[in-house]
Amino acid sequence: MSTTSTTMTSPRAPQTPLSRFATLQTADRLLCGVLIALSLFALALGIAYGVAMALVRSGLLAPAPDTGYRVLTLHGTTAFFYWLYTAQAATVLLLAAAEKKGALALRGLAWAGTALIAAGFVLSELAAIAGPPLLYEANPELGTDDPRTVAGMTGGYLLLAAGFALIALSSIATVLATRRQADGGLSALGFGLLAWAGFLIVSAVAAVNAFLPGLLWASGFGAFPHAATTDWHILFHNLHYLPLMATVLVWYALAQDLTGISPATGTAFSKIVFASYLVFVPPTSLYHMFLEPGLPESVRVAGSLLSLFVSVPTLIAFLIVVASLEIHTRAGGEGGMRARLRRLPWDNPAMANMGVAILTMLIGLAFAFVLIQEKLAPLLSDTMFVPGYFHFFAVGTVTQSFIAMLAMAVPAVSGRPLWRPRLLCVMPWIVLAGLLLFGAGGLGAGLMGVPRRVVDIGYGGEAPAIWRPFMAMVGIGGVLFASALAVSVFGVLRSLVPGRRGLAAAAEPHVAAARSAAAPAAAAWTGPLAVVLLVAAMYGATIGAFELMQSLPVTAAGGGAH
Amino acid sequence: MEPTQLESKQHLTTRRGFIAAFGFGGVALYGAWAAYGASPLPFTHASGGHAAHGTAPAKAPAGHSGHGADPLMTPDEFLRRHEAFLARFRTPDGRVVVPAAAAPEDAHADHGAPQPHATHGTPTPPPAQSHAEHAPQPADGEPLDIYLHAFRFGFTPDEMHLRAGQPYRFRMLASDVSHGASLQLGHASRIVRLRANVVSEQTITFHRPGRVLVYCTVFCGPAHDAMSGRIVVA
Repeated sequence: MSTTSTTMTSPRAPQTPLSRFATLQTADRLLCGVLIALSLFALALGIAYGVAMALVRSGLLAPAPDTGYRVLTLHGTTAFFYWLYTAQAATVLLLAAAEKKGALALRGLAWAGTALIAAGFVLSELAAIAGPPLLYEANPELGTDDPRTVAGMTGGYLLLAAGFALIALSSIATVLATRRQADGGLSALGFGLLAWAGFLIVSAVAAVNAFLPGLLWASGFGAFPHAATTDWHILFHNLHYLPLMATVLVWYALAQDLTGISPATGTAFSKIVFASYLVFVPPTSLYHMFLEPGLPESVRVAGSLLSLFVSVPTLIAFLIVVASLEIHTRAGGEGGMRARLRRLPWDNPAMANMGVAILTMLIGLAFAFVLIQEKLAPLLSDTMFVPGYFHFFAVGTVTQSFIAMLAMAVPAVSGRPLWRPRLLCVMPWIVLAGLLLFGAGGLGAGLMGVPRRVVDIGYGGEAPAIWRPFMAMVGIGGVLFASALAVSVFGVLRSLVPGRRGLAAAAEPHVAAARSAAAPAAAAWTGPLAVVLLVAAMYGATIGAFELMQSLPVTAAGGGAH
Repeated sequence: MEPTQLESKQHLTTRRGFIAAFGFGGVALYGAWAAYGASPLPFTHASGGHAAHGTAPAKAPAGHSGHGADPLMTPDEFLRRHEAFLARFRTPDGRVVVPAAAAPEDAHADHGAPQPHATHGTPTPPPAQSHAEHAPQPADGEPLDIYLHAFRFGFTPDEMHLRAGQPYRFRMLASDVSHGASLQLGHASRIVRLRANVVSEQTITFHRPGRVLVYCTVFCGPAHDAMSGRIVVA
């Protein structure tokens, strides 16, 4: 076996990306703090709406249908748009500032972006509360009787898009200024931030494409947007994978800060991986449209085949991060996998959140890949299977990764220690337990055909009785993970309130423990083993779906349309 | 400076090529698709033997599209045929009963024999023998046309009586906003999405008698929950 020599640095030196938060300037800390608070407020609201929805879907609450669908609209709007985009805006800005180790570039632009996001948030929420429920895609078809609601929701989204685009511009300018300062060019993380910020701007353009026609129509300046569904799908795919790219960048940064190990594969390889999102993600969007009538069979087939590649950049980034963590644990001494796992800093809320995020990503991927097969779409699309798997990503993977990052950054931003870190270390595991229950209920219900967007699934007593127990699992699991997530949100928000302690004192406990000995040559089998298990799980889920489809007492052909 | 530099030869598992190769792990799922005849590339042919036995791949085609030769049907034309369909098969109590051997008066005037899998070469499976034996078949073996109209917040007809083993060509129209016309089949469903003012069609054969819930799976407004109908398969 070959040997590996390592160069260690003092954990107290603020050289890893996250520990550099302590060097943020006061004005930048204020800006980042406002953005973080705004994003967490959106998350808290989204969680509250989500709990209400979980209770409704489980049958424990029985609101008027209009109210039920309004809450569903608010949950999607708040959690999927305002939390995820604002969290991304805050994170890309924080990491850009950390890269530069100096003042943010174009700070005024970033402030303007923050104000636009806040204005959009208020407008979208008010429109969703006051008008008929359009669901979070602000479907103009459903607003023909009340175009003002369409105008309010689409207008809010456009303000949001303008806001995060301006913040992305500020981040790009900041990272590019770093490049001018550095002799050796951009770090891998800096390069990833550029790609991410660029992708955010692309997402803003997709949002304009999706929502501007609706706004113009609702305001009396344009024709009815008949292409709204297609335009929505384009944005929707972007909405899916941008947060996932952000997540792996957060993992990349956290892994360095938590272990003191830089990625074993080197900077250039990491840059290629980050850039590959731009190659792999756009062509893989067709699977969202498999049920659309009139989609040619050749497009469905091409969509399935291309979608096989959608996970490539995420899995490579996953392997890099897990390899880094494993090298760190192996450097700590001999022992089996259990002993090595114990060497990870689980007493840090960031590590606990990231660990659960990695686990939930693998679980989510196993089931997500069932839906990329066009012949299985008529079994599962538009059913509870979809929320059953995507909450593993949206909550378990993406949201917990952002919480992990904020758990590291907020003490540096506010100068206050993290609120009850021991309690916050437990919360991700409760989230995982809740997600497993929610996912089992949702996936099972979806396989049996429970529709994803129906408040009352009774159908006058004609629905199968077995639907109810599965939806009860969805309700209980949803309340469980939402409660634990709410505690994490409170903890980070509480820590954001400026304190009297110094920045260095607040940031210090989160930096990796010092290691002075050279690490031995390190194997990293955990990641590859996890991929093998993931593929086995994908096979199991896909074969199960095929078998279920074949057991249906019906033969059907055609998804054609005139 | 980076916190740690790995400077010498690395273990296989941390080498770029190894990591990149495992990153493509998801592509391995192609094997499962091929085994079920659900992929168009050469490996699919390996499943041909299974098709001959009428097992796994046989029913996989659900969801296939194979109507490329069909002419356009406008929503107005659909509604005209739909009215004629109701006038012919509606009973005094409001149900629609389609006799197995009855051919609608406009049946297939503009359609050749359906070739739902012509685009990818996977044969359409015959109904299971046990069902086919008992199911009356139309003289020419072609599906009978059914016209299902979805609107806020219901279907017409909202109750249809069909026969097991008989193929039916469901022509469906959502005439106001997008709807679903999904079929609950006991332990699972077949999901159908309809877009506003687009006539969709699927050829469906029920293999077992029973009641099938038809329900909307695309949110269409406040009474979305109430939008359902039923098919009674005799």
